[in-house]
Amino acid sequence: MDESQLIARVRAGDSAAERTLYDAHVDRVYRLAFRLAGDDALAQDFTQETFIRAFDRLGSFRGDAAFSTWLHTITTTVVLNGLRKVKRFRQREADIDDAHEIGVVQRHAEPDLKARLKQAIDDLPEGYRTVFLMHDVEGYTHEEIGAALGVETGTSKAQLSRARAKLRVALADFAGEWVR
Amino acid sequence: MMDQHEDPKFEQWLKDAARTTYHAPRTPPREEMWTRIQAARQRRHIIELRPWMKWAVAAAAVLILGIGIGRWTALQPGATNGTTTVATTDSGQSDVVYQIAATQYLSRTEAFLTAFREDQGANNADGARFARQARDLLTTTRLMLDSPAGNDQRLRSLLEDLELVLVQISQLGDANNGHDTDLITQGMNQSNVLPKLRSAIPAGPVPVRTQGAL
Repeated sequence: MDESQLIARVRAGDSAAERTLYDAHVDRVYRLAFRLAGDDALAQDFTQETFIRAFDRLGSFRGDAAFSTWLHTITTTVVLNGLRKVKRFRQREADIDDAHEIGVVQRHAEPDLKARLKQAIDDLPEGYRTVFLMHDVEGYTHEEIGAALGVETGTSKAQLSRARAKLRVALADFAGEWVR
Repeated sequence: MMDQHEDPKFEQWLKDAARTTYHAPRTPPREEMWTRIQAARQRRHIIELRPWMKWAVAAAAVLILGIGIGRWTALQPGATNGTTTVATTDSGQSDVVYQIAATQYLSRTEAFLTAFREDQGANNADGARFARQARDLLTTTRLMLDSPAGNDQRLRSLLEDLELVLVQISQLGDANNGHDTDLITQGMNQSNVLPKLRSAIPAGPVPVRTQGAL
């Protein structure tokens, strides 16, 4: 059975077809959610929300694009909106912590590559980071990214290029690792 | 021509490093997530009444409100005999159902957050239990945000604040050391979420029992 037949069965209320559709896509949705969120509970939460919305709005899926493209549009919307809200909340917490730590001198150990890479990716602007993770880490094409984020393919390519340039500067200390 | 930033060696190294070290996902818990998706959709189906049922529920709710307003105005000292009070209805009748459901949901959330804060204050918080309840309320919160009740800007702002608090509580585990719960409580106090929540709940008992409707 091809995917369009499967979707027609889901629309007709076939719960077995719903499960088949879920099984076919859940791994990729969860992986993307986890890469963007970096937290298992949040990734599960975002994955669930994505499928709840997708099943509820399947009637509006016209089939102009692939189902996976449509689903990843929902995924990125759910994850990015969710992360903005969590960030707002964490900022409040950080403000409280900052208020408690006035006058305390922080001493940080020199971080290793893994920590530096994480920090450098986390510090990217949201658009750059999303495109970098989708393309270089999760293997989405620029066409898929453009469709999911609602931007032109050229914009996706430009953002990826800028993301890599920023990361190269941020990780310049480790240049020996990649010129070997 | 190669862009000045292009460096295939760097790009390959970056991809490999990021794939293996940056937020490397574990195997997704398919069954757990599927169970929760089904449960959330089940609840949602209860909300999404058939069109004729929506009108019936809306009409019943408006009738109850109309009778309530009529009785209340009749008891007012200034009320005069012969004055007819008409409960007006408008195109937003169906929103009444959501407002009632919103009141019921806000009451549950107030009770939950109050209990959480009190237990936390007594160093008695059972993180896992609160996390489970928070997840349940979080699903409802998101449904509320997507429902017509979310069109009310004041209610929407409150729901977004509640969502943030519930997300944090839902991430508590058995091993929480009190620091996480302290931070959540401080955040709640700073944003005045409980006073805002209480002021959004109409005085008196919840008007209509809608347990399970959302």
